[in-house]
Amino acid sequence: MFDYDAERFRVLITELTRSNVTEETWHWLSEKFLAPETSAVNSAFAMMPRKTGKLPIAINHELWVEIEKLKPGFTLEGWTIDRIGRLCLLLHLDPTDKEKYVKTIENLFLAAEVNELVALYSSLPLFAWPELWLMRCAEGVRSNIGLVLEAIMYKNPYPISYLDEKAWNQLILKAFFTGKDLNKISGIDERANAELASTLVDFAHERWAANRKINPHLWRLTSKFIDDDLLTDLKRLFGEGSLRDRQAAALTAYQSDSVLAKNLLKSYPELLKAIENKELNWSSLTPEE
Amino acid sequence: MCCSHSFDDRKPQVVAEAMNLDIIKGMKFFDPHVHMSSRTTDDYQAMADAGIVALIEPAFWLGQPRTGIDSFRDYYSSLVGWERFRSSQFGIKHYCTIGLNSREANNERLAEEVMELLPLFIYKEGVVGIGEIGFDDQTAAEDKYYRMQLELAKEAGLPIQIHTPHRDKKKGTQRSMDIAIEHGIDPKMVIIDHNNEETVKEVLDRGFWAAFTIYPFTKMGNERMVELAKLYGPERIMINSAADWGISDPLAVPKTAALMKLKGISDEDIKMITYSNAITAFAQSGQIDENDFITPLSVDQTEKFAGNTVLRGGQQPRTDKSSIIIS
Repeated sequence: MFDYDAERFRVLITELTRSNVTEETWHWLSEKFLAPETSAVNSAFAMMPRKTGKLPIAINHELWVEIEKLKPGFTLEGWTIDRIGRLCLLLHLDPTDKEKYVKTIENLFLAAEVNELVALYSSLPLFAWPELWLMRCAEGVRSNIGLVLEAIMYKNPYPISYLDEKAWNQLILKAFFTGKDLNKISGIDERANAELASTLVDFAHERWAANRKINPHLWRLTSKFIDDDLLTDLKRLFGEGSLRDRQAAALTAYQSDSVLAKNLLKSYPELLKAIENKELNWSSLTPEE
Repeated sequence: MCCSHSFDDRKPQVVAEAMNLDIIKGMKFFDPHVHMSSRTTDDYQAMADAGIVALIEPAFWLGQPRTGIDSFRDYYSSLVGWERFRSSQFGIKHYCTIGLNSREANNERLAEEVMELLPLFIYKEGVVGIGEIGFDDQTAAEDKYYRMQLELAKEAGLPIQIHTPHRDKKKGTQRSMDIAIEHGIDPKMVIIDHNNEETVKEVLDRGFWAAFTIYPFTKMGNERMVELAKLYGPERIMINSAADWGISDPLAVPKTAALMKLKGISDEDIKMITYSNAITAFAQSGQIDENDFITPLSVDQTEKFAGNTVLRGGQQPRTDKSSIIIS
């Protein structure tokens, strides 16, 4: 039913929620845990910020570490009290009636405003029946709302574990098109694939033809697929690119298994040295100049 | 909500005042009734430039009847979702009111389903009232769903934004107020919209808020509005554009402020009529925090730039409209 220790997780989130709300709010919320009818869940979910406020959560270090350990890749960074209250409510839904459980959450998605969508999508890795949320996650990637995309893309372990290659590639392409910070996407390098690399290279050529800038992080996803064409691109980056382009080309060549690419990098000893000294890596590269 | 325009209504303006909003530069405006779903991004940019910092989008009739409940759900959901986000990109805080409009109350089968759907939306953040509801043809069905929604507003503690009919306006307005009182609604929770010279006195005398829609040809013109402001003062009076898919003007509020200023109405009075009264009325929902638009932050900006207001006025890139080059 769950792909992690959901029972322990629920206990900890409940404890965390309780310590962040007033006695009165806690009384209101904990009553909803017992309510069997969906309408009570619906209105409690919508009303949450009125009851809890929207301040960032207060949490001690031990609890933080324990929660994040239960679900590797999941983070509480940036969570507010209304969001944790919403998660807490969802974790108390009875997952044994699979159909009802999925329908209840799906209906919340259908009527959600932005903050609700953020709460729902960032909770995706914690829902029961994880394999059933694949379409929902892919649908979220189609959103044009920045915060919603970030809730799915940034430090969310769901997409990396469950999206198939096609949906994963859409997520990455969308991240480039919407100017997201690629360093925050979990699993970005692990899930690099030939199909994605080829689409990204086409995209890069399109940008070059239109005289537009290219996010240098694009090249990191090509490093395992260096062929003659990509080698030409790397040469172009080294020869005509900005400092950031040259750094990206160096990192790409360094990570690749291609002897030709590695030889090319040797012509730029100062960049090679920076990588070997750990002064240059993808995290030190920012997308915009 | 608009009506169909007849060409007879479109009298050409005899004297055109040159459009000059410089005299209201630095003033902030709140348009408490504007249907942005029907407007373009150019409108958003022009509104932000003219000083509009926040607005309310009431749920209304989209110009043709909806045939199923999902259309209502998607519409309400877009008011709290996509449209709110779109507005934030131009630095304008977007609120909405949610309700079943009077025209579609006449489709009783669908109206029943909508009544079941409403509780899912009215408690959401930034929903500042039930609206726009009231009478159109003044049918029995309109009466029924108006009353049901008054009860819903009472239960949720939300203000009510009332559309008054085009036809038989005076009686329709009186009837709307009578029924609200009958249901034990405090008049200070009710904003009566689309007033004119004929309706305003009774609305104010009975303790309701009086909103005026500055809308070319079919509703109030702003010269008439200036006269009304002089006559009645700024107490409990607010103006809006009700701009929608008809020939309307999303800059009606700042333009009218400019005209008021030209005609000698004080800055304090202008501020009440074009900004603070609307906030006072709708903040009774507990859902308006003036700080949200005094230092405007878009949804994205709060996350990315944490308190940094460098991008004040919106983050959408501007196109250079004076050039034929599009790059």
